[in-house]
Amino acid sequence: MKFDISYIIDALPRLFEGALITLQVAILGFCLSLILATTITIARTSLNSKIFNTIIAFYISFIRGTPLLVQIFLIYYVLPVFGLNLGPFSSGIIAITLNSAAFVTEILRGGLASVPNGQFEAAKSLGVSGVALWRKIILPQTFIASIPPLVNEFTMVLKATALLSVITVVELMRVSQQIYSANYHPVEVLSATFVIYFLMCFVVSRSSAILENKLKVKRA
Amino acid sequence: MNLEYTIFIDYAPTILLGFWLTLKIVVCAIAMGIPLGLFLALGRRSNFVFLSFLSTSFIEIFRNTPFIIQVFLFYYVLPFYGLRLSAEYVGILALAAFGSAYFAEIIRAGIDAVPKGQLESARAIGMTDWQSMKNIILPQTLSIVIPPLTNQTLTLIKESAILSTITVHELTMTGLMVQGETFRPFEVFIMVALLYWALNETIATIMRRFEKNINKNRNTGPTNNSSAILKQNENTR
Amino acid sequence: MTLNFLELKGLHKKFGDITALNNVSLNVSKGEVIFIIGPSGCGKSTLLRAVNWLTPPDKGEVWLEGDIVGSLSSKLTIEESKLLNSFRAKMGMVFQQFNVWPHLNALENVVRAQMVVAKRNKAESEVKALKILDEVGLSDKINEWPDNLSGGQKQRLAIARSLAMDPILMLLDEPTSALDPELVGEVLSVLRRLVNNGMTMLIVTHELGFASKFGDRIVFMDGGEIIEEGIPEKILKTPKTQRLKMFLEKLNITSFKQ
Repeated sequence: MKFDISYIIDALPRLFEGALITLQVAILGFCLSLILATTITIARTSLNSKIFNTIIAFYISFIRGTPLLVQIFLIYYVLPVFGLNLGPFSSGIIAITLNSAAFVTEILRGGLASVPNGQFEAAKSLGVSGVALWRKIILPQTFIASIPPLVNEFTMVLKATALLSVITVVELMRVSQQIYSANYHPVEVLSATFVIYFLMCFVVSRSSAILENKLKVKRA
Repeated sequence: MNLEYTIFIDYAPTILLGFWLTLKIVVCAIAMGIPLGLFLALGRRSNFVFLSFLSTSFIEIFRNTPFIIQVFLFYYVLPFYGLRLSAEYVGILALAAFGSAYFAEIIRAGIDAVPKGQLESARAIGMTDWQSMKNIILPQTLSIVIPPLTNQTLTLIKESAILSTITVHELTMTGLMVQGETFRPFEVFIMVALLYWALNETIATIMRRFEKNINKNRNTGPTNNSSAILKQNENTR
Repeated sequence: MTLNFLELKGLHKKFGDITALNNVSLNVSKGEVIFIIGPSGCGKSTLLRAVNWLTPPDKGEVWLEGDIVGSLSSKLTIEESKLLNSFRAKMGMVFQQFNVWPHLNALENVVRAQMVVAKRNKAESEVKALKILDEVGLSDKINEWPDNLSGGQKQRLAIARSLAMDPILMLLDEPTSALDPELVGEVLSVLRRLVNNGMTMLIVTHELGFASKFGDRIVFMDGGEIIEEGIPEKILKTPKTQRLKMFLEKLNITSFKQ
């Protein structure tokens, strides 16, 4: 057998479609994870409840201590047992969100720690509290401090979406498998897929490195 | 929903067999991955443009693609070029290659954290580049790189689950098989998850102790940058 | 022969736009002690680091005992780098920041290069190390980690490390500048012993008192060039150039203020 480029050319249009879906899944999952992690962060700081904090610590430890693939299987196979038939796409998004949110929560904790305590006190002394305190003062500073690791986390999510192919979500990896199981040329098709993944991740992580340098300069 | 406790007992031997294979695969992958990572790290810093380019490309490519597609590529590409290996060996190779890219960056950061004067004093006394590395620089990077290397090891344990997709009978694969026989996904995957979790926590705890010990017993040079390096790597899956 | 012990010929070095060495030539005879002084950034450290090719010059040659040290090509052949390493082993270098090896204890700091570079066996290296550590006054610190040593002790350890290689020439780059004033004396007394033993030395320093007492010659550099050189008496008491006069005045004023 020889490496036949024509199979790559034939596969490219469908692979690009798959790449678009991969991007959509990643962006959707990442946004949901940002929302969940922000909620957790706010709740953890303002509730100050021991039980809640323990549950969150447990959740983060579990997510960080087990493979994403097993987490995906847990959600995909276990939710129907409880009568929730969501299908692969929704299960996949939930798994990615729950997984990423644990890491984003950790990132935001670091970002929050960089906001000086005086900011809380100053705001309170001016009568700013509750939603306004978080929305106008604390969160913006937390997010700005967290931008570089958050971009890094997005590349992690981007790579993680490939695992959803295992539960038949039709993203780039799955499309690639569909193509080569029809034309029996896995080497060509997988190589092309590999390059597409590389380009997507490389562009994002490069831009994160550039962004980080810019932020450093600004702070200095 | 009722828990079917008998599954935990009936299928424990099967699951533990998978767990044992996971352990073996990860140990082999680390044993190959760290030397390769060291080679890549030195290669990337090398003055030979060709070697530096190759190492950098290898590192960037493996860090910027999903592990699952690396596994599939190894699985299909190796036989394509006439190298027929069992799925286990393909899995070990893929995991070692993936790991080495991350190990390389950890080691490189560790080397960079050693003050420049250390290399200069070694060179000034007549040591060759390699002698300076071996005698002076690398021993000093050890205490810096242990925490991120541990982190990366935990990542490799988790990533090894992906080898189930090329039918390696490791922990996740045995979980899938038992689930196929019993149709009790909750019990099975919780059991699998708990084993991964326990393994991770055990290694993390041991390494934390070990780290404390080295820092107590020995003066191992610069530690100022180690937390930064650790942060940089703690985010890998 | 004695005149050509060490010869620096037309050394040039540029870092970007900054000229660190501009056509510097210097002859050193065996046993001579030469102090190099000058304002910071004048190229004196670069000159010292060019001698053992730690900072290879852009142009020029260094000759030691009639052999040429280093090559100007950016990629040394295996033969050339072997030769360079053997030259470096003969030239002990002492740094401002000590650069002792923190992962090795005091004894191992002195033993390691003997074994790795000079290929001596362990027993032989240790005997030699113990003797030299005793000479620099560290015989009670042989098992100590460098981080537990004072600056003066670290610098004496660094000197011992170099001496163990049986150097025929010592290069000292501001050996006392990073030390607290009360620790300068112990390092200078070790250096004094080296002078009395007839060691050939190039010393970059701000310690004019020490230089005038023990220097055979003082070299004044500014802007990457040697402006004046001569016996200490002449250089310090009757400077000829305006630049040297200004430098000495400034130094006197600052030392007066201190």
